[in-house]
Amino acid sequence: MSGTGTQALSAFLSRGVEANEAFREMIEALPIALYGTDAEGRLTFFNPAAVRLSGRVPDLGTDRWCVTWKLYLADGTPLPHEQCPMAIALRGGEVATGIECIAERPDGSRFWFTPYPAILRDAQGRVTGGINLLVDITERKLAEAEVQRYFEAIVETTPECVKVVARDGTLQLMNSAGLAMVGANAADEVLGRSVYDLIAPEYRERFREFHERICAGERGSLEFEIAGLKGTRRRVDTHAAPLVQSDGTTIQLAVTRDITERNQAERAGLLLQAIVDSSDDAIVSKDLNGIVTSWNKGAERIFGYTAEEAVGQSITIIIPPDRLDEEPKILARLRRGQRVDHFETIRRRKDGTLLNISLTISPVKDPKGKIIGASKIARDITDRKRAEAALIASEAKFRQLADSMPQIVWTARPDGYLDYYNERWYEYTGFSRDSFGDASWQPVIHPDDRQRCRDAWYQTIGSGKPYEIEHRFWDRRSNRWRWFMGRALPVREAEGRIVKWFGSFTDIDDQKRVEEELRRANQDLEQFAFSASHDLQEPLRTVKIYSELLVQTLGGKVEGDTEEFLRYLQSGATRLELLVRDLLTYTQASTFEPPTRTIDAGAVLKTTLASLAGRISETSAEIVSGTLPAVRVHEAHLQQLFQNLLSNAMKYRSPERVPAIKVTAEPRGEQWVFAVSDNGIGINPEYKERIFGLFKRLHSNEEYSGTGIGLALCRRIVDRYNGRIWAESRPGQGSTFSFTLPG
Amino acid sequence: MVVEDNAADVFLIRAAIRAAGVDADLYVMKDGEEAIRFIDRLEADLEAPVADLILLDINLPKKQGGEVLEHIRKTRRSANSRVIAVSTSDSAKDRENMTRLGAIGYFHKPSRYEDFLKLGGLIKQVLGQ
Repeated sequence: MSGTGTQALSAFLSRGVEANEAFREMIEALPIALYGTDAEGRLTFFNPAAVRLSGRVPDLGTDRWCVTWKLYLADGTPLPHEQCPMAIALRGGEVATGIECIAERPDGSRFWFTPYPAILRDAQGRVTGGINLLVDITERKLAEAEVQRYFEAIVETTPECVKVVARDGTLQLMNSAGLAMVGANAADEVLGRSVYDLIAPEYRERFREFHERICAGERGSLEFEIAGLKGTRRRVDTHAAPLVQSDGTTIQLAVTRDITERNQAERAGLLLQAIVDSSDDAIVSKDLNGIVTSWNKGAERIFGYTAEEAVGQSITIIIPPDRLDEEPKILARLRRGQRVDHFETIRRRKDGTLLNISLTISPVKDPKGKIIGASKIARDITDRKRAEAALIASEAKFRQLADSMPQIVWTARPDGYLDYYNERWYEYTGFSRDSFGDASWQPVIHPDDRQRCRDAWYQTIGSGKPYEIEHRFWDRRSNRWRWFMGRALPVREAEGRIVKWFGSFTDIDDQKRVEEELRRANQDLEQFAFSASHDLQEPLRTVKIYSELLVQTLGGKVEGDTEEFLRYLQSGATRLELLVRDLLTYTQASTFEPPTRTIDAGAVLKTTLASLAGRISETSAEIVSGTLPAVRVHEAHLQQLFQNLLSNAMKYRSPERVPAIKVTAEPRGEQWVFAVSDNGIGINPEYKERIFGLFKRLHSNEEYSGTGIGLALCRRIVDRYNGRIWAESRPGQGSTFSFTLPG
Repeated sequence: MVVEDNAADVFLIRAAIRAAGVDADLYVMKDGEEAIRFIDRLEADLEAPVADLILLDINLPKKQGGEVLEHIRKTRRSANSRVIAVSTSDSAKDRENMTRLGAIGYFHKPSRYEDFLKLGGLIKQVLGQ
């Protein structure tokens, strides 16, 4: 009922309500609750509809303001009767139209209604009373409440964020999904706050513009990022609509979806796409009917078809006719959900050329796990195949070569597994041709050498250094162990990675035995020389002493030949004594422990010169030396070297000159070259080598006494230190004896 | 007591002792075994005098000088006899070995008569005569 209608009714009524019986009947029959009051608000009449609605019969003349028993405002707060709209109107106040109130019946039930109070005035305009229509709106209110409940339920159960933002940005409503999205535990953490606090700073301005557009009545969507209460950033996509409120202002109702994962998935998808595009391999997908559904750049390059040409075609366009039966087999495997790994086959380019291809095919499943097609990665292995063929050819050549060699030749993988032997191996061992690795050589190697060889081999494998070891193999034909030299060298590819080991076993048994015999013979000889020289001293001494005693005893009675005989006897014994002494020194020089420290050669020279003082003053020799280094030799050995060379320099002096001898040393690599130079008689070049031989002499004992051992001893000492000794000379002018020693 | 297989050297030792004017009874053993037997006899016969000084050659037939010296050191009566090792060898090893076994002197047999006579002086000194 409009306000205008109420006014018309009240005007009509004021023209004489009581008088008109017919009109009273009409009011009685009216289905709308209606009552009237006097100017003080005391009820003067009511109709049956008012009794039905209010649930009571009013007490006329006593009840004031309203027919109802109890009154409440829409929010449920009690409303005293003297403040009800009718009371306000009677007191001359303004009453808002369309307000909604709640009334309670004496039985406790409640109902909603809208009052339409009207004031009755007399001709002078004085208030004479009022009438009030109470329109029952309970049903509408119940329906509205139901709609509200539905709305709330829908909002609450929506998996996306649903929010209401006031024009000033205050969050008025947010559902559970929204609270979870912004990281709030309870609604009061965000409601009433500014929505901008939840928006990532760089998106706030954009959101502000968006919000104003919505509040101006537009609909729209925006993708932005929120920064939740716990600092988590999420990417969201919001769809908003304007909502005009009862007060006429517009607010934003928005549904916001979290697209963080979707975005990541999209990015991952893009990345995958980039990888697929940039791959050298052909990456192709097809459905279960073999129809191509995608075709990357690699596929274009390898097969010659562009993506436009290939997509939608059957995969059989790249399968040569004689291999068409492969496709159904592949499809059958895929339908069973199985992969096809590194299947090497032949495919055909658009131009008809055939390619060696390695295929890896995996089933593609839809999100429900149903197989809907296949992805196929094809690698062009034509070059590899060619290289393999070349390798096989070169291996055949290698084997042919290896078989023609007298040694046992083998190869091993980088991990040390022996994977090939040439024919010599099978001839020697009689083994079967299917045994490789450690197991292949262990049965034939000497038990004492087995661990040593294994250790050395795997140490070699680890270090990549060449392998060289001596060991014994059983010789089934001669029924004994034979010595072999095992050697191996790594073969490296361009980057230095070892790709193979080439090895050999060389029979060194004969050589080894000769060496061993020689060593033993040498040892025996040395032992003999040592004991001989030692034991020789004893009788020699006896001969010497007794020949001396003989001379003493005979005294002056010796004459003629006898005297000469005795002299020969004595000089022979003396010479023999020197020989024996030098020989002893010589044999002793052969065995020694390697020196652990260096000695000062200058100091050794000084000691030597002191022991030669007699000879030096006798010959008036001038001996000078340069700065001498520290060398890693035994002192006694260096002393013997100096002593022999200096003695020789003085012994073989020129009769025309005072001996001038110089001792020098200079470095050569890690060695020192010592030189003892003299101005003596020199050596005929013919004998330069011979003089270092044992018992080799260039002069008779009458000319120059000596045993022929001195230089042999020098060579033997220098040899022991892996050095060298040699002589240079200009006959008649002098000699230089040089030798090298380790520094 | 002299343990020496070479008669020529025994002659020289006698000459050296004589030349030094040492007064001594000389018992000469020709090899290591004989020397050990003699020492063992002295163990049994408490009446017999033990040697004041033993001149012991190192290189002997049958038993070496070192073995003889080891044996002497294990006896009751001869354990304290003074021993001078005598040898043609001048190897440091021999010398050390004999010293370790308790030889109080080491005489390197020289190849000159005059030098050999110096042994007499050494003996005289050891015997304190």
